[in-house]
Amino acid sequence: MEHLSGGADVALEIDLLCRAAQLILENGGETYRVEETALRMAKGFGLSGVSIAALPTSIFVGVGDRVRIVRIRRRGTNTSRLERTNDVSRHVERGEMSAAEADAALRQIAADPGASQLTLIFACGLAAASFSLLFGGGLGVFAVTFVLGMLVQAVQPLFAKMEMGVLFGNFTGGLLTAVLAQSIASVIPYGSVNAAIVGGIMPLLSGLLMTTAMRDTMYGDLISGITRVVEALLLAASVALGVYVGLKLVAMMGGALL
Amino acid sequence: MIRSLLIGCIGAFGGTVGFGFMLNAPRRVVLPSSLTAVLGYLLYDLLFRFAGQSLIFSYFFATVVISVICEIAARVMRMPSTIFLLSALVPLVPGYSFYCAMLALVENDGAAAASHGLMAVQIVAAIAVGAAVTSVAFRSVSGYLRRARG
Repeated sequence: MEHLSGGADVALEIDLLCRAAQLILENGGETYRVEETALRMAKGFGLSGVSIAALPTSIFVGVGDRVRIVRIRRRGTNTSRLERTNDVSRHVERGEMSAAEADAALRQIAADPGASQLTLIFACGLAAASFSLLFGGGLGVFAVTFVLGMLVQAVQPLFAKMEMGVLFGNFTGGLLTAVLAQSIASVIPYGSVNAAIVGGIMPLLSGLLMTTAMRDTMYGDLISGITRVVEALLLAASVALGVYVGLKLVAMMGGALL
Repeated sequence: MIRSLLIGCIGAFGGTVGFGFMLNAPRRVVLPSSLTAVLGYLLYDLLFRFAGQSLIFSYFFATVVISVICEIAARVMRMPSTIFLLSALVPLVPGYSFYCAMLALVENDGAAAASHGLMAVQIVAAIAVGAAVTSVAFRSVSGYLRRARG
């Protein structure tokens, strides 16, 4: 236990555990993976008496008589960050990376902004248009949904800094899709409006959260599982509400808003 | 039938590539996981629509095949399997059913909400069990191999 009394570097090592765990949790990793990553790093640093509990909203880390609590406010999916954090933890476990190097690497991972908004807009259009094919759309629907998907992603940064921003972003995405899909159809009949609406909102409704929720539940992380189910339902509800309001608005205006 | 399968493949491929970028997947993961997604979707489509298998079985079987490929790819490319799995499951995951359930709730149609919601839960359960079974099997096999070697 003499390692524990060793002041500064133990503090840094605990900080690194917490930051790695936070990166995994914030970017869509399952709960068991969060705990596994932190424990792997603890092993590499030679820390003993480490216990960790993670929930989707917070992480509790205890090492000896020190306790750290990390609050998680932002949750998304960024698999590049998952991969790189996992890589750091494995290097640390094998003793190939010192605490200072791991510190720099984790800092770099956290600072990496990921794909640019332009890439995201294009990717979102592609995903939306492709999904419209799965719901029975033709070429016309494909083209319209591509534009809708790009618009849905283009407005998302407006909500990024807002409180409850994801909910508003989803609501607006659903609203925009429903209004535009119908309005465009009233000018140019391109095919199935329903396929266009469903395709347009698919990028918002991945349902991936739901699978993560079920996997958490099966690995025994019951509280994480339930919390994620609630989050997934709330997000789907906000999209559905947006679409519903959009359909009603257009119906009130007699078929087209534009 | 061929035409519908082909359109399905194109849709699943484009959707997964798009999602791959949206999830910030590492570049070298995008293509393999998209191809896996297409294979899984094709399998599900064949089983459910053309071979008349049950919904649960079709999703379960397609997920097991996807997960096996993802677990192997993860070991070959030395990355966590979640990264492959998150992208490759995109076309199967029932976001649409959840949306339908929520839309029915908003429209005050309880019966439709219940049936869409139940279907979504069935699908999610089939996918989750399929992925978990494969992952546990791979973990125990690789643990056994490591012990046997060392």
